Amino acid sequence: MGVACTVSDALAAAARSAHGYRFIGARGVECRKSYAEMYEGALRVAGSLTACGLRRGDLVAIIVGDPESFLVTFFGTAIAGLVPAALYPPTVTSDLPSYLDATSRVLRSCNARGVITSAALLPHIELLKAACPDLSAIVRFDALQGPSATMAGAPQPAEIAFVQFTSGSTATPKGVIVTQRNLAANVSAFAAGLGGSASDVAVSWLPLYHDMGLVGMALGALYVGAEAVLLTPEAFVKRPVEWLRTISRHRGTISFAPNFAYDLAVRRVKDADLAGLDLSSWRVAGCGAEPIHAATLAAFADKFRASGFRATSFLPGYGLAEHVLAATLSPRGRELRVECLIADDLTVKRMATPASGSCAESVSVVACGRSLPDHHVEIVGDDGGALPERHIGEIVLTGPSVSPGYYNDVETTARTIRDGRLFTGDLGYLSSGDLFVCGRANDLIIVNGRKYHSQDLEWGLADLAGIRRGRVVAFGTTGGGPDRAVVVAEPSGTVPAGELADAIRRRIVDVCGLLVDEVVLVPSGTVARTTSGKVRRAATKMLYERGDFPAAATTGA
Amino acid sequence: MASSSSTDIARGVIEVLKNVSRRPIEPTLDSDLAADLGFDSLQILEIVAELEDRFDISISLNDVPAARTVSQVAALVSAAATT
Repeated sequence: MGVACTVSDALAAAARSAHGYRFIGARGVECRKSYAEMYEGALRVAGSLTACGLRRGDLVAIIVGDPESFLVTFFGTAIAGLVPAALYPPTVTSDLPSYLDATSRVLRSCNARGVITSAALLPHIELLKAACPDLSAIVRFDALQGPSATMAGAPQPAEIAFVQFTSGSTATPKGVIVTQRNLAANVSAFAAGLGGSASDVAVSWLPLYHDMGLVGMALGALYVGAEAVLLTPEAFVKRPVEWLRTISRHRGTISFAPNFAYDLAVRRVKDADLAGLDLSSWRVAGCGAEPIHAATLAAFADKFRASGFRATSFLPGYGLAEHVLAATLSPRGRELRVECLIADDLTVKRMATPASGSCAESVSVVACGRSLPDHHVEIVGDDGGALPERHIGEIVLTGPSVSPGYYNDVETTARTIRDGRLFTGDLGYLSSGDLFVCGRANDLIIVNGRKYHSQDLEWGLADLAGIRRGRVVAFGTTGGGPDRAVVVAEPSGTVPAGELADAIRRRIVDVCGLLVDEVVLVPSGTVARTTSGKVRRAATKMLYERGDFPAAATTGA
Repeated sequence: MASSSSTDIARGVIEVLKNVSRRPIEPTLDSDLAADLGFDSLQILEIVAELEDRFDISISLNDVPAARTVSQVAALVSAAATT
């Protein structure tokens, strides 16, 4: 399928159709904007940004929660030849000083030249100017009213389309470079995989500062010229049924969400809300961005079968921002492919051995499908060599979607992307053409779709009284249910156990807004001693998951 | 439900908090939603939705960040119930 080469070309092409975005605001008020109207608005934004003195190639952070305003601004930066980077706005539970501190670090890390934000946040961002010497323009999105720019000097395919910050890491923000060529390659490949066309209706509540929401839904719809209906993440989280009602009302055909969203819908949509819900139009229910649990998807299919939902609509996939969005996708219309594996073989032999008979000591893994056309996935062992089927190793990706690297970060780029090969840090295996993802790098904790880095948590606890120096490890774990964040620490004995666990939780909330699910206090010498954080976490996590910790204080369920 | 007394409201808020929490909690009026009771931002929004249903009110999300303790949430509910 041929798609436009750049974001501004895609917008200009879509503007010739009658399609567009439909934004669902507070209390269900709808506002439809055709792509032609979006294009006009974006030209005004581009003209205003150029008038602010921003130059082609300057990085501009967009901190705008409202989907319509966000997208007009994003397209405006694209037309002006700027490099947009979407940063997340404060959430309802954000502590503003910590939020601003983290934002300031991100802005510094990418030498942002401009920030576009809301009137409410603007005065706070102004205060960051002293700490961010490169920042020359801080503007309100609603002040960008023109005059309109012309399309002269449109971006080239090799130029940067946007910088995607991987969420969560506050101590060491990483901005993934996505070129226009990367974006077009990924969108055209996954649109082909989904069978996406201008007659589709995408429905999404996903945040637009996240790759699945921005690329998968908003840009995916734009590039194929489809209609897209967008809700806010808050609307979904507050009432998950609104997501499904929107699909029902607008005859949505494609909607993606991480595993936790399907789980939230199962738990929170009430039986009384099912009346009148018709999900029969939903042909692609994409699932990715975090580990996929067969039980969650089965429960969702059961609950909504009577509303017309088909389990064959589920389309699990695997991907990451360093690969724009998708790396593998399941074939359309296929039943979920789930393998039951012997748990011990996974961790000890690093082999995916199918379990026979009862699945008591087994682990279920959902197939994430095949690599996209013109892209390649391989599994690599510790020595860097390719592994045969059913052997567990690191997932390595090649092809036109692989990012050239991290913005302003040569070191991380060199560690992650070598000779065009993207070392994902995720563990998986291949079996009859499907990729199975069975773990991820031990240094990532994914809770409710947001990524936290173990190292950030451990650094945050480094100076906490009551913990033995360096003897603390943080990791994410899953017992077939939602992901849980665990901190394992060796107490120094100076602080009572209950108080220490409480202090650890409070500190992590302060550092990155994450509430730790479980704090395990272990005797001295239990946390492995090695200089490699990766090895220490892997060893400690294995002990934890096997239940091999010596008895000590554990708090929290 | 403008007639709810403040103790009714506090009792209702605590009941909602217990229903939403996935682990046993014993909220008091001074409990902090995040630090003491362990609610994350997803759960806070779930709490808001449950309170709206229970008290038949509408709570502005702009007011939510400032309500950090149980008594502050109860105050938010009474303010919404009387307008």
